[in-house]
Amino acid sequence: MSASRYEMSAEERYFFDLRGYLVVRNALSSDEVAECNAAIDHFAERVSTRSVEDQSLAGGSSALSGAQGRKELTGMLGWPAPYREPFRRLLIHPVVVSRLNELSGKGFRLDHGPLLIGAEAGSEGHRLHGAGEPFSPSVWYHHQNDRMYCRGVTVAWQLADVNEGDGGFCIVPGSHKTREPTPAGVRSVEDPMDLIVQPVLDAGDVLFFAESATHGTLPWTGEHERRSVLYKYASRAAARATGRHFTPEARWGNWVRDLTPEEKAVLYGPGVHTGKDFPRLQSDGHKTSIA
Amino acid sequence: MNASERYFWDLAGYVILRNVLNPGQIAAANEAIDLHLDRMRTADDNLGAGDSHALRGTGRPTMHDLLQLERPYCEPFREMLVHPAVVLRLNVMCGTGFRLDHGPLLISGFKGTEGLTMHGAGEPHRPHVAYHHQNDGTYCGGVTVSWQLADVNPGDGGFVCVPGSHKARYPMPTGVRTCDDDMGTVVQPAMRAGDVLFFMDGAQTHGTRPWQSERPRRSVLYKYASRSSVRGGPARELAPPEIYWGEELVDGMTPEQRAVMFGPCSNHGGEIPFLALNDDGTVHVER
Repeated sequence: MSASRYEMSAEERYFFDLRGYLVVRNALSSDEVAECNAAIDHFAERVSTRSVEDQSLAGGSSALSGAQGRKELTGMLGWPAPYREPFRRLLIHPVVVSRLNELSGKGFRLDHGPLLIGAEAGSEGHRLHGAGEPFSPSVWYHHQNDRMYCRGVTVAWQLADVNEGDGGFCIVPGSHKTREPTPAGVRSVEDPMDLIVQPVLDAGDVLFFAESATHGTLPWTGEHERRSVLYKYASRAAARATGRHFTPEARWGNWVRDLTPEEKAVLYGPGVHTGKDFPRLQSDGHKTSIA
Repeated sequence: MNASERYFWDLAGYVILRNVLNPGQIAAANEAIDLHLDRMRTADDNLGAGDSHALRGTGRPTMHDLLQLERPYCEPFREMLVHPAVVLRLNVMCGTGFRLDHGPLLISGFKGTEGLTMHGAGEPHRPHVAYHHQNDGTYCGGVTVSWQLADVNPGDGGFVCVPGSHKARYPMPTGVRTCDDDMGTVVQPAMRAGDVLFFMDGAQTHGTRPWQSERPRRSVLYKYASRSSVRGGPARELAPPEIYWGEELVDGMTPEQRAVMFGPCSNHGGEIPFLALNDDGTVHVER
């Protein structure tokens, strides 16, 4: 859809704004795909497999259940040379920079990742998540005066083919703009209402999707292994991951140590991946306390 | 936060609560400032007024690090930090889990102290401080809470804003920015010591008129943000890739790769690079 691989075309803008995702074909050569796969194979012993007993992502859905969990591998950017190099090139690949400068604005940043998601035939899916409603400021999609502003974009590089019916990434096109709650049957894929699309992708293709779009994973049925490497980008002043300086002490210094728990609660760093124990304040107008 | 406050906030982009602090609390905060006047810093003349004629004057006095004052002088400002009236409203305005982004900052002023050009607006859209309303919920990425420790009468100057400008979709005219031709859109709310002002910092067009009163201005500003928005404060120091991610992860990265590894921060003063493409498709760093 683009006149140049390194330029976001009017057609691509239309498609992303309308659908909430975009595929750029043949962004990597077969040699580049092979180099990434060889690096992953070198660190094969570091690949973990999620347990379907206590780490399931299917959310109890009968349509998404599977015999085993997905495979995961992280840390590529910090691997020793030369294995890290192909993943560092993907980090700022010109196809990515040209699209993210439009979608998230100049100064976009890596929020977290990259993460390899792998799967073998029979692997479970991932319950669909994200939507325009309820409003999620950290990944907000907005369009104003001929410009798109997408605070959270995931870039998924395909290192193996995804054929029709193979499963893997799926999305509800247009859901980044919805203003009505997502029906439970769509989330679970048990009653998808013909709304869910599984894009067909070839190794070397790269997928961009708005984190605010309703998306998830269908169980993997392909005979070959699934291999997608996901980079989670954000606009310059958006934070989803909490980073290494999240606690009040790490962010502001030791002077915060004698603050009350309520005072400390507003001095945590930014980010929405806070964990369950993160203190949130409540007030009845007369007294402040931790909820 | 009652329906009237929500209506005013959504419509005007600011709201004032009256008599939140009692005279004893106001006096304690003013005493803490009076005993630390050696910490007051005065900026060069007309740094804030810029190219405006209407806003010119002498440099603005400010005082930082109020939460770090020795006891008991820090206590009035720590109480304001999580005051029940603030928490109740910010949970609505920013959402639960809101946080202090930077501040508090005392802004003072003497007769003749300069103003500050108008800044912030709905256009261009700035997602980290923008205002949004959806399905009966209100959301703002950046809210400043300004406690008044001295009266601000009509015509005194100080905080001014353009009500409704958080929803503007056209660029701000130059005359409004400078207040040289404000088109009658700029208002200066009158306030009493003990009142607290909430305004949409970055989404709403706001600034400062030169201070006209014989009595010094005293406003203490706390800059809050929603859970996922990042403006300045410690974020600026923590943003470099080696600090944000750790040296091991970014060791050996090219300048272009480092450019996308900076931590979140909007007020970085041009210190954070961004990427652009050459005609041949290669990537280069710009500032």
